[in-house]
Amino acid sequence: MTGATQESPQTGTGPLLRPGNTNCGGCGMSIALNVLGRALEGRSIQMVVPACCAIVTVGSYPASAYGVPLVSSTFASAAAVGTGLARAARMNGDPTRVVCWAGDGGTYDIGMAAVSAAAERNEDLLYVCYDNEIYGNTGGQRSSATPPGARTTTTPHGKLQEKKDILAIMAAHRIPYVASLSLAHLDDATRKMQKALDLEGFRFLHLLTPCPTGWKSEPAEGIELVRQAVSSGLYPVYEVESDGRVVINVEPDMSDDTLARYFAAQGRFRKGQVVLERVRASIDASWKTLRLRASNGEDDDRDA
Amino acid sequence: MTKVLMKGNEELGEAAIRAGCIHFFGYPITPQTEVPEYLVKRYAEVGGTFVQAESEVGSINMIYGAAGTGVKCLTSSSSPGYALMAEGMSYIAACELPCVVINIMRAGPGLGGILPAQSDYWQATKGHGHGDYRVIVLAPSSVQEAVDLMILAFELAEKYRNPVLIVADGMIGQMMEPVEFPVEGVGEPMKDNDWALTGCEGRERRIVNSLYLSPEKLNEHNLKLHEKFAEITKNEVRSELYGTPGEYDLLITAFGTMARICKTAIDEVRDEGLRVGLFRPITIAPYPYEALREAMDALPDGGKVFDVEMNMGQMLDDVRLAGEGTREVIFHGTAGGIVPSPDEVAAKIREILKP
Repeated sequence: MTGATQESPQTGTGPLLRPGNTNCGGCGMSIALNVLGRALEGRSIQMVVPACCAIVTVGSYPASAYGVPLVSSTFASAAAVGTGLARAARMNGDPTRVVCWAGDGGTYDIGMAAVSAAAERNEDLLYVCYDNEIYGNTGGQRSSATPPGARTTTTPHGKLQEKKDILAIMAAHRIPYVASLSLAHLDDATRKMQKALDLEGFRFLHLLTPCPTGWKSEPAEGIELVRQAVSSGLYPVYEVESDGRVVINVEPDMSDDTLARYFAAQGRFRKGQVVLERVRASIDASWKTLRLRASNGEDDDRDA
Repeated sequence: MTKVLMKGNEELGEAAIRAGCIHFFGYPITPQTEVPEYLVKRYAEVGGTFVQAESEVGSINMIYGAAGTGVKCLTSSSSPGYALMAEGMSYIAACELPCVVINIMRAGPGLGGILPAQSDYWQATKGHGHGDYRVIVLAPSSVQEAVDLMILAFELAEKYRNPVLIVADGMIGQMMEPVEFPVEGVGEPMKDNDWALTGCEGRERRIVNSLYLSPEKLNEHNLKLHEKFAEITKNEVRSELYGTPGEYDLLITAFGTMARICKTAIDEVRDEGLRVGLFRPITIAPYPYEALREAMDALPDGGKVFDVEMNMGQMLDDVRLAGEGTREVIFHGTAGGIVPSPDEVAAKIREILKP
């Protein structure tokens, strides 16, 4: 054990996310890691995790709960560190599968330049963004993934801005694969996780991961919240192929009741802070664009 | 004046408002996040600009922009985040813009930990970013002093048109301690800003720029910055001597929280007849070399200097420079977020004085 490379006392095979981590109860990111772990089915990966909950509560030395080799990177640079790993491995002829695992702060905000640049170079990386819509380990500040109306410690009266459409941004890089995964639709999520693991080039996956601490929601209700976000149309579950073709994987029922329940179940949305009609209008507008992309520009009567 | 009990970080935020700063740009990082969290709420009451940037590179450059318009502005961060501000600090110093920056130091290197440390001393006093420039660096050793130095920081920034850095360890940021604010309400805006970019109707345009492709012109500019810092050194060096010259047999050197702990240790060993003094720099840049040398010269023949820091020996360089080899300097330091206790320091004092 010399220098900065240290062997974790926990070695051998086992789950990707081991017991003993200090994630909060009901942490959506933990569930997402388990989805990745199950999707591996014998595939070996190397992970890059920037300064975020996934390193602070899971990967602090020497009690790392990760069952795979891992680099803890600076906050802004998971995609850059991943580039270095993947390039060096390729030059050495090592078969390698590098997975960058970053939150919304490290992807939408401080890491945006590195993510965009790695995508443009089509680096051989699987980049997974677990989006809990908040800076979690610093106590809950807004990010550019925080939805409008949500109260955080730096938006005490509710955030005013819309959240970035990160899937559209990544798809605009025309990379081999972009997809959103629902924790409430595990078959679809596992299929897309495995598809992304086996592709080459830059693949981008996005998961909405409930954060009971930041969302002020019941830890046991996380999956239900994702189900509501999907069925109300708030969180579209789809994939974008390298040719730009959009495939919608889960059809929402666009229920207003479900949408209302989603907001009511979270303490971060104060009553009256979120105007449901406005949210519905915003959802409808993004689905109109999505349907157009899914139909290759032909008219689609489903949203008429 | 009434005392207020708040967390150190919140009191720093309030002190900025009392100093007249209503423009804050920052980014979350432990253990300083209470500064932005406090200011976003207070600015909603008193009126102010609050922006949560997309990164520390964003926040320091927002400061660069705001400072260029001649307003009092502030950003705060902690060690890894402050490291990202290095290039911006260089530009701001090069363009001679006034601003105040807070670094609530945590243990490093790398991602390190979130507990208190003093391991950014070199970075704060010798470095920041590239190029030949200096920054005024203030190191409080209590929350009250942090508040007082915050007010002073804005005065110095404006007076010298230079960035001022406040370095406090996480202990000061996270500790709750009652303080008195020397001024009431929202302080005055910047007065002396006839250089600021405010629109040029009816006068010549002003330009904020640090690009000098002519080596002669750039040399001239460096000389000007150098002379300015010499002036700052002449006028603004601050330090504290705990003890009376001629009445101590050992001189401790320490700054920030560590100095405060050493005072307790010194009081502890006084009853045993051990006579120890403490020299504490308040401005760690410019460093009070002359005052420290005087304090060292007051030691008896063979009297030693004992430097204690929450790092592996960084201010130690400046202590040795001040002594110029005239005194033996013994060092004790801790890292990783471990804060030495007064008992630990007292035990070291006994080791030195009663071998």
